[in-house]
Amino acid sequence: MGRRPQENPALDMTPMIDVVFELIIFFVVTIKQEDLYTRLNVNRPAAAGSSSSSSDDISVKIDIGRRIDGNAQGVILYNKREVSRHELDQNLREIAHTSTKTPIIVTCEDSSPHKALVDVLDICYKNKLYSVSVFSM
Amino acid sequence: MIDVVFELIIFFVVTLTEAQKKDETIELEDGQHGVVLTPDELPAQHMQIDVAKSGRISMGNVTLLPDEIHRRVKEKKARWGEFPILIRADFETPHAAVHRVMDACTSAGIWKLSFMAIGEDKTHERKRIKKVRK
Repeated sequence: MGRRPQENPALDMTPMIDVVFELIIFFVVTIKQEDLYTRLNVNRPAAAGSSSSSSDDISVKIDIGRRIDGNAQGVILYNKREVSRHELDQNLREIAHTSTKTPIIVTCEDSSPHKALVDVLDICYKNKLYSVSVFSM
Repeated sequence: MIDVVFELIIFFVVTLTEAQKKDETIELEDGQHGVVLTPDELPAQHMQIDVAKSGRISMGNVTLLPDEIHRRVKEKKARWGEFPILIRADFETPHAAVHRVMDACTSAGIWKLSFMAIGEDKTHERKRIKKVRK
């Protein structure tokens, strides 16, 4: 049981270094860079799509639906006219120039992909228009 | 050796449980201009609801019906008051599925909802080919 008297009584660092190296390797291997997530806040003015209360104030209406021919889904309509994301951005920039408190009302059709809604919300946020309400139909 | 083996076991256990808490099939849409989500940006009692491409609604990778979402939100609201709800929906999810979730939340008394999006794609794990924007 008795230990041999050591010539050099220094602390043996070898096992600690082994473990530390292992930890470093493990962390390097397992760590994966996470995506950076954002959130886009919306208000829900009514439980089921009743949109009658929104006619008195000055508000901007954006529709997400389909073209009249029914082919493309998730098309953005601004003032009943189909717009590209870039055009919507320009329109909203002008609105934000007058007031960033302008309420935005997005009406989304059930068949359109979620992507279109997120794109519209993102464009609103880009122009600092934060009071967005979403209706579904 | 036993130390090292234990360490490995603990590490695997920790990383494995971490991976199962959300629906991994969901691919989010880009939204660089939203509020950046950091671990302490949302209050601890927030609720995250996943909506997959198929319309599957889940929380913590457990499939739920809209009625169950409604009940859970209601119970939580009774206990904590207002709390934020984060909807994590796939970019291809039809709005109808998101609509159901939103209605379940609003009928339970939560009116402020958020949609989760990607601020910065660092992992490049998304399978979809980025479509050229008009």
